[in-house]
Amino acid sequence: MKKIAVTGGKGGTGKSTVAVLLALDFIKKGKRVILADCDVECPNDYLLVGQKLGRPKKKVYAKFPHLNKKKCKKCGLCAKTCRENAIFQNPGDYPIFIKDLCSACGACWIVCPQGAIDARKEEVGKIYVNRKDKFYLVTGLAKSGLEETGPVVGKVKDFVLDLAKKERADVVLIDTAAGTHCPVITALLDCDLALAVTEPTPMGAYDLKLILDLCKKLGIKSKVILNQSDLGDKKRIYSVADRFGAIIDKEIPYSRKIVEHYSKGSLFDL
Amino acid sequence: MKIVISSGKGGVGKSMLSSALSMLFGNEGIVAVDCDVDAPNLRVWLNEIGKPDKIIPVTTSARPVIDHKKCTKCGKCVNTCQFSALSLSKKVKLNPFLCEGCGACEVICPAGAIKLKPVQNGRIEVRKTKYSFPLISGQLFPGETGSGKVVTEVKKEAEKFKHNLMIIDSSPGTGCPVIASIQGVDFAILVTEPTPSGFTDLKRTLKVINHFKIPFGLVLNKWDINKPLSKKIEKWAGKRFLGRISYDKEVFKSIAKLKPIMESDLKAKEEIEKIKERVEKIIIGK
Repeated sequence: MKKIAVTGGKGGTGKSTVAVLLALDFIKKGKRVILADCDVECPNDYLLVGQKLGRPKKKVYAKFPHLNKKKCKKCGLCAKTCRENAIFQNPGDYPIFIKDLCSACGACWIVCPQGAIDARKEEVGKIYVNRKDKFYLVTGLAKSGLEETGPVVGKVKDFVLDLAKKERADVVLIDTAAGTHCPVITALLDCDLALAVTEPTPMGAYDLKLILDLCKKLGIKSKVILNQSDLGDKKRIYSVADRFGAIIDKEIPYSRKIVEHYSKGSLFDL
Repeated sequence: MKIVISSGKGGVGKSMLSSALSMLFGNEGIVAVDCDVDAPNLRVWLNEIGKPDKIIPVTTSARPVIDHKKCTKCGKCVNTCQFSALSLSKKVKLNPFLCEGCGACEVICPAGAIKLKPVQNGRIEVRKTKYSFPLISGQLFPGETGSGKVVTEVKKEAEKFKHNLMIIDSSPGTGCPVIASIQGVDFAILVTEPTPSGFTDLKRTLKVINHFKIPFGLVLNKWDINKPLSKKIEKWAGKRFLGRISYDKEVFKSIAKLKPIMESDLKAKEEIEKIKERVEKIIIGK
């Protein structure tokens, strides 16, 4: 089984479109494919293939701190320990937990000498599965407003790899979020290949450099897919790819047809 | 006054709009802030590709350093780490790419074998643009964590510049860098495009915006690629609708040549000027 990540750094370069078209390509070749949408903050692959999410197959949980005021002695150690600045305490008052900043790391309840902080399990995301013959689409969706979405991506990947084993999948395609931060890193880790989708603009080139740099640091082989290849200036992209020893695997010229199918959610009909 | 430009979905035109609005408000005492620290492109949209005037290192991350002489291999740190960054075979090993630098391992270790060490995870670049306003950009180093904290530092740096208006360009998504970008702003300009993905992501972003009780307006980019859906989105936005921008391949070509939209004679330029007027009316009450 091969694990291929579809990523790109910059947003809106066509990651999801390429991921779906690649899945389609593998299916046509008779491969068993699982497409995992790991852009858990904004998953869209299901929309591109005209599916609805339906009922979640699995829920993802994390533990968050809750103060037990009866036990709390207002010592302030939790506020001092929290590196996310998610615990605020006025001198002499009970600490206040700011959920928007909390990463659910658990340092506060470990450090509390009174055992006054309970760790309560809360839902942080959902995993959905859509199936069409031999093709599976797994979608991860983080709860809105969740600060730390990397662990949700991790759980989605665990789920997908289990499913891939059970279904004896040939290929697992992992569609990542834009950017290079934690949810993207978690999605990329342990992949056999990363396909960086970019566009022939200076922004595309700059962000490509960042994502290829990240792949190099993670020890993942990368290739470049140049989308809307005929619209801008390819030179910059080639020079960045060259610098990282990544080949340009495919050039996709601008296509009104793809744009239209994209906006109608009918990419599978292409 | 602080405005954030956000969208959920990537590539819908946040930085294009941020750069154009910065140039239009340029004479009114603004500071432009690129808080898309994962992939900061605002300077490219402004054709500011030279070296910055000032680089400020950001050290808001940390990594545990394990003293293997003190470590008893009890495994408590491994079980405690919520980010699966620690493992134990012959000795405790850290996967730095999963580590959030939270310090839970340090506080649980009964042997005192773990100490957190600060890590430089990004930098801030300060530029005086050729349009006379300052541009503050953040850059998270690839492979580092703590993007939200880098964003917070970038905003702190921007505060140091005297300004009437701060224009903040956020990253796509809804997670920590976006939350850090929108905290404390007075108004959000949400950008979307008439595609099912654009609309769905817009609504997800709106949940976060509403959570922080931030008033918002909506800009519809590439409105003419799906007119029926555009109509629906405009109706949905009601009086919060700020304006539309047409889809134009020339925008793509213009920026590929590093020519800012506001220096072109494209239709988008006029459309954005109208959007600026609406924004002014709403937020500044002119």
